[in-house]
Amino acid sequence: MNKAATEYPKNSRDQERLAALEADNQRLIGYIRAKTNHLLQIMGTQPLQYDELDDKTLLDLDPIGIIADSFTQILDFLNQNVNELQRAKDELEAIFDATGVGISIIDRDFNVQRCNEKQRQLLVDPNRQEIIGHNCFEIYCARESPGLGCPAMETFATGRPALVRDVKKKNKYFNVITTPFAKNEDGTVSQVIEVALDITDKKQAEPAEEQQRQSYLQEKNKLATVIESLSEGLLVINPEGQVTTCNRAAVEITGCSEATIRQQPLARLFPGLAELLADGREPAGAEFPYHHPAGEERLFSADFNRMLSPDGDFVGRVITFRDITVEKKKSQLFFRAEKLAAIGQLSAGVAHELNTPLASILGFARLLLKDDNLTAAQQERLEIIAEQTQRSSTIIKALLSFARKSHHTGRTREACDLNVIIQRAIPLLTTDLEKRRIELVQDLQPLAPVIADPGELEQVIINLVINGMQAIGQDGRIRISTNAREQKVLLVVADNGPGIPTESRPRLFDPFYSTKPVGEGTGLGLSICAGIIGELGGTIEAADAREGGAALQVTLPAEPTEALQAEHAT
Amino acid sequence: MSSSLSPQTIELDILGQVCPACLLVVLKEINQRRREINSGQTRLLIRTDHRNATVTVPESVRKMGYRVDVAKVKTYYQIVVDRQL
Repeated sequence: MNKAATEYPKNSRDQERLAALEADNQRLIGYIRAKTNHLLQIMGTQPLQYDELDDKTLLDLDPIGIIADSFTQILDFLNQNVNELQRAKDELEAIFDATGVGISIIDRDFNVQRCNEKQRQLLVDPNRQEIIGHNCFEIYCARESPGLGCPAMETFATGRPALVRDVKKKNKYFNVITTPFAKNEDGTVSQVIEVALDITDKKQAEPAEEQQRQSYLQEKNKLATVIESLSEGLLVINPEGQVTTCNRAAVEITGCSEATIRQQPLARLFPGLAELLADGREPAGAEFPYHHPAGEERLFSADFNRMLSPDGDFVGRVITFRDITVEKKKSQLFFRAEKLAAIGQLSAGVAHELNTPLASILGFARLLLKDDNLTAAQQERLEIIAEQTQRSSTIIKALLSFARKSHHTGRTREACDLNVIIQRAIPLLTTDLEKRRIELVQDLQPLAPVIADPGELEQVIINLVINGMQAIGQDGRIRISTNAREQKVLLVVADNGPGIPTESRPRLFDPFYSTKPVGEGTGLGLSICAGIIGELGGTIEAADAREGGAALQVTLPAEPTEALQAEHAT
Repeated sequence: MSSSLSPQTIELDILGQVCPACLLVVLKEINQRRREINSGQTRLLIRTDHRNATVTVPESVRKMGYRVDVAKVKTYYQIVVDRQL
């Protein structure tokens, strides 16, 4: 109030009243200033300065009103924040309770601060009402103090997370993990979060899994044993053509170590086989040559199977194989024996039919030759007829002889010394050898006896030497050698003639097969030899002689010496 | 609301004034323009050369739920009061 503008009352009563009002006014103004300053202090600013703001301006400005309005806004903003916080808290609690793992917050005194619904279900006695504020060891572990292996104790002590596996409670299994949640000013952990994971299902499935694993291992071992015990070689090839697995038989048959087989691609191990598979064909089986590390050429037979994944993708091949070298040779021999028998039967019939007319031709030719009235030309022609008929007769005899071998007739079996038989046969050949100026060299070693027909063996020797003589023609050398080898007797007749062309070798022992000029040889000599030797359980093979010609090598099973001695003793 | 994209700036010049007048003037202005500022139509740009105001004004205004930016411009301070993002 402006004192200057005040009109003083006239009487003293009025003056007193006025003074009282003035005092009230000052008191109220003072009150307003004090409260305004109080509020300004709350707002964090300076108190009012009287010289800045006189009473009238103070009332006009209405600082209490201003601050009250501002407080309204502050309160609104706070309410808004409180609501948002409450919502967030509700959400967090919902998540806390809905989560599939048990969670609790434990303080340093091992009091449970918070515990979610899952933790209560998993670890707390259902009859228990109060949890918060109680000791965790009492509620969760039914103990009177925290025990050994308590993860919370470890986390409080170390400040690091701790895990305890396979905790069994309420017939369930848990993994319990504690992590630091809050820390004191000095850095020590004041609260931990404990999480309990229910692993009962996993734990219960373990025996079944173990059983399944054992059964799988058992099957695997069984399969491995089967593979290892196979007499056939087995290879597993990956899609890139690399050998990944092989069995014991594969090692034995190939003559390579397991490491060697598994380190190389199929194309290097079996080049012949890889070629068959390379061009996209999928044969079920094949025969292919194999060069054995020992230096021999072998013949293998293999079967293939494609391996497919459950989705039908090509994941490799299984190859089984065996060595058929001996088997193949035997079957070839068998085939030849069959052929010889057939030819033998046929020849016998034909030879018998031809013998009679040939005898007539020869007889009449000789009769005519006795006629004295023949001209020289006629006589010469008749001599040719007689000679050629004679020759035909020789062929027929040879044929009949061949046929008889095939029919197992008129044969003896006795212990013979091959060297003695050679000595007996040579004189029969001497004339022819001398005529051809062929030297016969003998290299005869002491031998065990062989069980055979001596006549047949003699024929074999004569046939082989004649074969050599015909190959040489004139001037040369034939070497007959014998040798004992293990339980066998070896005879080699080698010449220094032109040798046997490779292409002729497979047919060398076939009847009527001859590489000699027409008129020399019947084509039956070697096939008769092969027939006789085969019957005796021996073999006959052609090889290259050291002197460049042909060598025919006969192997015969030897009779044990004791048996011979026993025979002589009787 | 296009106003939210480019609010109108109301300038309040309190150069030469000191506390607590500074704060009271600003609070009064904000109280009167509460709706405009909260709707994003308006923002308040205050110019003051009283250093204390750069502390008292932002403290109070933030508690009321507004966004406050303070910048020094040449010889005075510029305080911008805007609604929360």
